[in-house]
Amino acid sequence: MSLLELRNVSKRYGDFAAIDGLDLTINKGELRCLLGPNGAGKTTCMDLIVGRQRVSEGTVRLMGTDIAALSEHQIARKGVGRKFQIPSVFKELTVRQNLEVAFNRNKDPFLNMLSFKNFKGMKRYDEITDLIGLKDRSNTVSGLLSHGETQWLEIGLVLMQDPVLLLMDEPTAGMTEQETYKTSQIFNTLKGSHTLVVVEHDMSFVREIADVITVMHMGKLLAEGTITEIENNPQVRNVYLGTEGIH
Amino acid sequence: MSVTDFWTPFELNSFLNALFIGLSIASIWLIAAVGLTIIYGTMGVINMAHGELIMLGAYTTYVLQTFFYIPFLLCLPLVFVIVSIFGLFIERTIIRRLYNRPLDTLLATWGLSLILIQGVRVIFGTAPKYVSIPGWLNFQVSLGFLHLPGFRLFIILATAALIFGTWYIAYRTTWGIRVRAVMADPDMASSFGIDSNRIYSITFAYGAGLAGVAGALFGGLKTLLPDMGSGYIVEAFLVVVVGGTQLLGSIFSSIILGELASIFSYFTNDTFARFVLFTLIVIFLRFRPQGLITEGMKRR
Amino acid sequence: MSANIYHNRKAQWLAYIGLFLLLALVPVLFDSPFLLNQLARYAVFAMLAVSVSLVWGYGGILSLGQGIAFGLAAYGMGMTMQMQFQDPVSDPVPSFMLTNDLSTLPLLWEPFWSTPVGLALTIAVPTIFFIGFGAMMFQARVAGVFVAIMTLAMLAAWYAMAYDMQPFTSGFNGISPPMPFEFAGVSIDPYSPTAYLICVGFLAALTLAVKLLMQSKFGLVVQAIRDDPERVRFLGYNVAYYQVIVFAISGFIAACGGLCWVMVVQYVSPTSLELTLSVSAVIWAAVGGRLSLLGAILGAYLVNGLQSYMGDELQDVWMIVLGSIFIGVVLFLPRGLVGLIEDALGYFTGKSETETATVAIERTV
Repeated sequence: MSLLELRNVSKRYGDFAAIDGLDLTINKGELRCLLGPNGAGKTTCMDLIVGRQRVSEGTVRLMGTDIAALSEHQIARKGVGRKFQIPSVFKELTVRQNLEVAFNRNKDPFLNMLSFKNFKGMKRYDEITDLIGLKDRSNTVSGLLSHGETQWLEIGLVLMQDPVLLLMDEPTAGMTEQETYKTSQIFNTLKGSHTLVVVEHDMSFVREIADVITVMHMGKLLAEGTITEIENNPQVRNVYLGTEGIH
Repeated sequence: MSVTDFWTPFELNSFLNALFIGLSIASIWLIAAVGLTIIYGTMGVINMAHGELIMLGAYTTYVLQTFFYIPFLLCLPLVFVIVSIFGLFIERTIIRRLYNRPLDTLLATWGLSLILIQGVRVIFGTAPKYVSIPGWLNFQVSLGFLHLPGFRLFIILATAALIFGTWYIAYRTTWGIRVRAVMADPDMASSFGIDSNRIYSITFAYGAGLAGVAGALFGGLKTLLPDMGSGYIVEAFLVVVVGGTQLLGSIFSSIILGELASIFSYFTNDTFARFVLFTLIVIFLRFRPQGLITEGMKRR
Repeated sequence: MSANIYHNRKAQWLAYIGLFLLLALVPVLFDSPFLLNQLARYAVFAMLAVSVSLVWGYGGILSLGQGIAFGLAAYGMGMTMQMQFQDPVSDPVPSFMLTNDLSTLPLLWEPFWSTPVGLALTIAVPTIFFIGFGAMMFQARVAGVFVAIMTLAMLAAWYAMAYDMQPFTSGFNGISPPMPFEFAGVSIDPYSPTAYLICVGFLAALTLAVKLLMQSKFGLVVQAIRDDPERVRFLGYNVAYYQVIVFAISGFIAACGGLCWVMVVQYVSPTSLELTLSVSAVIWAAVGGRLSLLGAILGAYLVNGLQSYMGDELQDVWMIVLGSIFIGVVLFLPRGLVGLIEDALGYFTGKSETETATVAIERTV
């Protein structure tokens, strides 16, 4: 069953179309990689799904309901989690507080005024801090984390939301090789139990995690398939990989 | 008080006169706001002491005239240089430490404005001072029902000249290209060998100098008091913000706001016009926080 | 790893309660009506500083318009007290209205015949105004500098209004109710321990309530919004809703300050709507430490105390001193004076990782 369905989606700025008649279907439990050269519209595509930008045309359906007109927090409440390209966490709060904010069964401010619970001994908290490897650092102010740790913390925030669909915008950007490897392990753990869309440039990382790859170019869908299919697709080689091939 | 006292009925001739007064108000707000636009637009610095730089310009003119007997017209470039140097000093000592912390510059420059007001009060006392304007500017142009004091006309012309000069520097000189490169992307600009710190220093000094000239001109209109600057700061900021922190935007917004202020006060009175105008600005900013002229959305 | 006692919640609560008990003991220790009145004024300023600390320190919203709530409430209280003096039959119209050619009481003033209604309006009007104004700004996602400018413009608008509507507000002269505030048959002399204790009581109750609030999940979300509103939005929270509530609470606190202010000075004029007061409140909070309510309170007491007791010969340079302190704090002590206390306690009781939060804090705003 398809979880997310983009039909004929366009996003225009004046005459320029950042997304041009894009169709995309993500099935439940799938890990989809979104590839494409700079300016292909990957980040814009994610912005349209989460409501950060509005579609000019077309429909975005999550589990059958059109979400294109909803505001960001409403889409988030429907179960869409987004990790940004530039990692954004709450730098003045501790790791634990960051995750507490993300744990959001209750979003009403007045009810939250009466909530003084903390996370001690909560199973999901332990699982997630284990997964992202920040268990020992729960009292660290997150502004002091390394770049890689910040990326993981943001992944943790999104997981804490317990979303049905996770959108990850370049989760390994700026990471060392070791950190990238660890991130791929995190993603492989999530695979199956979660539905993920990952935008990535790092091909070795994509090889580690991907089932199905979608390649975008100039706001359009260029190709879709397994890693071998994509690697051997002449069109893809042409526009994206140039003469260098996949490396 | 009845409604008729409060509400002035419409009458064409005096209304046209009000429109001219509006233009005069616009030129004053604009000249007060130009320096602020440049400083905010280039550096993202909210300079709350801008009104005090205007005040310093006025007092410098007073000193130059009273103790050095320098003619008014010659005072203008001198004041520009002197207040620029002072601006440079402020930039080096305070502003430089606060780049990328716009709200902190707002607070620090507020502290600076307190110091400047009191400093001038200690030196010159609280008695009002005067700047004398040359006799040949003391004329009155009468075009039928329109009466324009010569000095107001002079201010409008001076404003136009300063705006043109600033525009020329920004868009027709290499220096201006560098400034705009730094505005667009400081990191990229510095990788091309542009020293953004130096650009900031000189931009701030230039903006301060413009404030100084504005003060010299205002000195011819009003009496000089140490706290005269606070009378300009709110309007100047609103011009900048409504305009979208760009030169062209500031020109439009000052004309629109000046005319609106004059029209409202024609129908009601000065203070009530302020209330209406400020409220309208707040509502305008709610719908267009980016001002009249837009920039794109941040990528993340 | 031993933790800095500064970050220990129990120790914090003890410090807050200790301070308020100390303030409450002042009338027992000193028998000076003048001192009590002065300290009552400081307590009012401290309320204003607490409102700034909440909205700016915790909420990340730099409002230069806290004076709007303060001033509106001050006028409400002034009107209430003025009407306590007027007699419905023999003398229904305040004298300043008569000199301004108003022979009947304006409709706006009518509700203030009743003290409870007057008090309710005094607090409700500014709070509701802040809800509306906040909703307008935050739904449009106005942030940072623009909030500062919009609140500044709104404050200037209200100032012009109070100044201009002379028949209703007595304009520049302001309203001086001839008699102290009377409540439930008791006259509250501005120089009495009662007036002082009411002010300190308000300050203590409001501060402790805000402290508790900031320890709840609500407070955590508010601080997260300060750091990165967009991130919070994508976690499913309605950010504007939270910001409006914080802004409204801060307006409510400032309004309580305005109410107490007129009770202890028996006078209200457009000065309470001047930019100077609103920015001063920001200065107090910044000097003491905006990230701590206690810091904001200390800042208000210290700065005002310094001004009062600096000696006559130094009064001339007071603004220079204040300006320099302020620049110094902005440049070198972004956490304010309590930041020094935090470091000192950390030195003696052990550093925690939270200590180094400075790095992050300097980055904010």
